[in-house]
Amino acid sequence: MSLVNLAHVCSHLQNASKARLAVTSIPVSKLHVKLMLGLQREGFLSSLTLGGPTPPKPFLLQAQPSPEHLDNMADLLREQPWLAYPVADRKQPRAVRALLQMQTTTNGGADEAAGEPGAESTTTKISASQLPSINTSSPLTRPGDASEVHVPLNPAKRRLWLGLKYYQNEPVLKHMKLVSKPTRRIWLTSEDLGKITRTRESAFVKGLTHPGECMFVTTDRGILEARECVERRIGGMALCRVW
Amino acid sequence: MSACRSARCLLSKATAAAGSPLGLSKGTSKRTFHSSSPRPARKRRPHYPSIKASDLKILNEDAQTLLPKYSDAETQLLSNRYTPSQLAAIKAAESVIDPRDVLLQGSQRTDPWRLPYHSDLIEVDKIIDHAEKLDVRDTIPQGKKNVRLANAVERDAAISKIATENLAKLYPGGLPDGQLTPKQQDELEQAVEGAMMQASLDPRAIYTSNNKAELAALADPRYSVVLPDLPRLDSRLAKATRRLSSEEQEDPRQKRMLQYLGWDKSKLRQIRTKTLVVHGVVNQTRMGKIRSMYYLTIAGNGDGLLGVGEGKSVEPEEGRKQSVMAAIRNMRPVPRYENRTIYGTLEKKIGATKVLLYSRPPGFGLRVQHLIFELARAAGLQDLSAKTPRSRNKMNVIKATWEALTSQKLPDEIARGRGKKLVDVRKVYYGGSVH
Repeated sequence: MSLVNLAHVCSHLQNASKARLAVTSIPVSKLHVKLMLGLQREGFLSSLTLGGPTPPKPFLLQAQPSPEHLDNMADLLREQPWLAYPVADRKQPRAVRALLQMQTTTNGGADEAAGEPGAESTTTKISASQLPSINTSSPLTRPGDASEVHVPLNPAKRRLWLGLKYYQNEPVLKHMKLVSKPTRRIWLTSEDLGKITRTRESAFVKGLTHPGECMFVTTDRGILEARECVERRIGGMALCRVW
Repeated sequence: MSACRSARCLLSKATAAAGSPLGLSKGTSKRTFHSSSPRPARKRRPHYPSIKASDLKILNEDAQTLLPKYSDAETQLLSNRYTPSQLAAIKAAESVIDPRDVLLQGSQRTDPWRLPYHSDLIEVDKIIDHAEKLDVRDTIPQGKKNVRLANAVERDAAISKIATENLAKLYPGGLPDGQLTPKQQDELEQAVEGAMMQASLDPRAIYTSNNKAELAALADPRYSVVLPDLPRLDSRLAKATRRLSSEEQEDPRQKRMLQYLGWDKSKLRQIRTKTLVVHGVVNQTRMGKIRSMYYLTIAGNGDGLLGVGEGKSVEPEEGRKQSVMAAIRNMRPVPRYENRTIYGTLEKKIGATKVLLYSRPPGFGLRVQHLIFELARAAGLQDLSAKTPRSRNKMNVIKATWEALTSQKLPDEIARGRGKKLVDVRKVYYGGSVH
């Protein structure tokens, strides 16, 4: 769990939102993915996609399913509802299966706005033409759909693509800062977190005084927002603060 | 000037030139001895506002329509209600007041000291008004005027006499006799004491005179020098200062700004402005240095509006006016939490200046440096603390604070940006009686 990389991610996201980018990519790691999922849950990010060196197709450029196709998919799902859930191919290595699992869950969150039941379900198969990458497609989707993303088999080439959000010409995520540093980790109890979320300083961590400020904490239950930790009475290591 | 021309034609008037023996052209006027154009005669201002005939006509027509004379039918109706003498009084009163004056200057008084009746104030009311002033020399009948200090015997006699008079006013039916209740006894003692006090302060107890009329005049307030004169409404000063609102001199710059803002003057009067930075600046040109004054002014209504304006001019007053107008024009809303403090911590950096503003609990006060204090007061913030950890350049501190205060993000906006729903539960619990 390298906080150096997380620090790079933090400053990269600040720079990308200053440059008003729509999508940006960060290196893939379990910590990054979980933190970005937390950011997406708090509404800082619009989408989260595992991909290669090229960005995924923007939603507006993706092929939109025709109404008949949607009807067909709905009928199919009524009869075989298990098609909505991803089924990893047994032939694939375990790591790839896990990645695809993650990918589909994140896409599920991102594509809620699309409102298509078929797009959420993906099964995997390695096509002969694109051997170095994993082609994610399902019997329900057609070529050019949102779920058809090529993930390189080489983990070093994988990137996590993030959709940034803007509201009234201002970035939604403007500041992102580490709390724990690579040389000094900070662990907080739930009492500390309670004080911090009530804008008071505790354990040498300043309170969340900026309007709409969030802090992410890594706990044994995953990466959670500080207020959620207080609710669940969990402590953990503070990662970063976002506002 | 040609040497052939005589001095006479130079000094003669233009009208005379036509018939002059030299036969000068008709347009030749009296020449001036300097090259600059002559100054026109001083524009004289009339002592009274000049009213155009058309305006006067409109006024007369308005007076006719808005305040018409009683018609026969109306007089008939009035006569049912009032006696002939009352009717005559009403008509006389109506005729006294010019309806044009009512239109131009008339307004109903609403203050608590207004008179309980409508009057043209011609007659002196004995209760409300001061008595008319009298002059001793004119009104006291002839006789020797010899006022002198009273000696002890005369003084005692005068005091007892005046006290008796005063007591007689208090008890017209004579002093109460027989067995008195303690309360009555107390009242009587107080009355006697008051009468004695008044008598000892009366000028008749200190001075005395053989002339009885003169002695009476001493106690008469109408002869008092201290009594103020009745205000003379027909004085020239009052006339000169009385102006209609339409005649008021208007600053063209202010007028343009009011049009720009869509405000009226009364709203402008509520704006508080303060010049916080003044210094001289120099522009180096090939002609030399041109010095001018720089002004930075803030404007606020003390209720969530704040503006900062700059002005620069060679003329100091011009520069100040520029900055004031710019400040009022630049006013922007400052979002305030509970109308007293800011929404969370704010940060703003301009140049090398960084300003940190912190929201604070109720009753904390404005514990900030003087420039930020002025801004917060003008914006109507009451609880605030601030830090200026880096440069404290006055101009930049003001600008950074203003930017930070006016560009706050509201919690609702943040929630909408993140796609969340935010509900202020205090509005539910306290029946909406929160800010």
